[in-house]
Amino acid sequence: MPMKGRFPIRRTLEYLQKGDIIFKNRVKIMTVNYNTQGELSDGARKFVFFNIPQIQYKNQWLQIMMFKNMTPSPFLKFYLDNGEQVLVDVEGKDHKEISQHVKKILGKSEEVLQAEAQAKMQASNPANFGPIKYCLRECMCEVEGQVQCPGSTPLPKEMTGKYRAQMAASQE
Amino acid sequence: MFQVIGGRSVQVTRLLAPRSPVIVEAVRGRKSRTDPVAKSKEGRIKLPPPVDATEMVVLKERYTEYQMITRALRLEFKEEVLRKKYEEETGSLAEERARQEAEEHRALMAFNSQENLRILQVRMLRIQKETEDAERQQLEAVVQRQQQQQEFIKEKEKEVLKLQEDAKNFITLENLDQRIEEALDNPKNYNFAIDKEGRVVKQTTLQ
Repeated sequence: MPMKGRFPIRRTLEYLQKGDIIFKNRVKIMTVNYNTQGELSDGARKFVFFNIPQIQYKNQWLQIMMFKNMTPSPFLKFYLDNGEQVLVDVEGKDHKEISQHVKKILGKSEEVLQAEAQAKMQASNPANFGPIKYCLRECMCEVEGQVQCPGSTPLPKEMTGKYRAQMAASQE
Repeated sequence: MFQVIGGRSVQVTRLLAPRSPVIVEAVRGRKSRTDPVAKSKEGRIKLPPPVDATEMVVLKERYTEYQMITRALRLEFKEEVLRKKYEEETGSLAEERARQEAEEHRALMAFNSQENLRILQVRMLRIQKETEDAERQQLEAVVQRQQQQQEFIKEKEKEVLKLQEDAKNFITLENLDQRIEEALDNPKNYNFAIDKEGRVVKQTTLQ
């Protein structure tokens, strides 16, 4: 059977794509210190178990490190690219509260995300013709209902220039 | 596919031909280097298309104008793209945006530190309560231990008193003769029956 682990739903694409925390470009490293025992660390443990895969999926270039049983109380630490460190205390918090708090302080807001999506749509116009890497189609012959590429199927006689020239010459 | 070559073996045809053709030898696509030229193409001299002088002049003018215009357009568009990029990164709008973002960031960091302080307070209270509990537990333990000790002493005292009481009935060397005489004088009968309440019911007579 393909089910592996305790909550295999964490491995599904649908679950990963539901993650809504996308960090700002300044955040480079995220560190989670938590304990494996104790009720105060419970929220942090759940956060690591459920939300970290989603975060890593959405922020592929963010470095995430986990440290276990190093400090008595759990916390998150973010390292920005200007050297600033942001400490977030998560003692006694629920994993949903933690993810909401983190999204508020260091996540991209809805408007920013929408603006980025708009820009991406504008940059890649589906009506463009060009190399397959950048556009959907290369030539009109690929579109349904248009004349097929004469390289693969020969054109009907009436459309060839040779025949038309012949006709024109024979008429004169 | 065709490469231009100067000064090859076909000098004769070069002298004979009126115009200076471009001697072209095919780069070997299908044939290898040792294969000869095809029989039908042995003396072939390729000549470029004929050029009309007046037409050339007119065409040259038009081409220069056309190329100038297209080059200008191309450079215009390139410049526009570069300008947009520059504006995006170091324009007045970009500065505004950067400033706003910095402000927002500061506000969010302040909010975060507030949260941290709040959790700190909660944690201090919890630690205080825990230390108090621990102290109280310790005191209670001490008190309990003392109590246990007291009870132990009392138990021992009771036993000592009981022993003292019993000691009065012991048989010593002095009492020995007296107690033997007493025992012989009072024979005790242990044969009796009891009912459920513990009262003596029957008693046999001593033989």
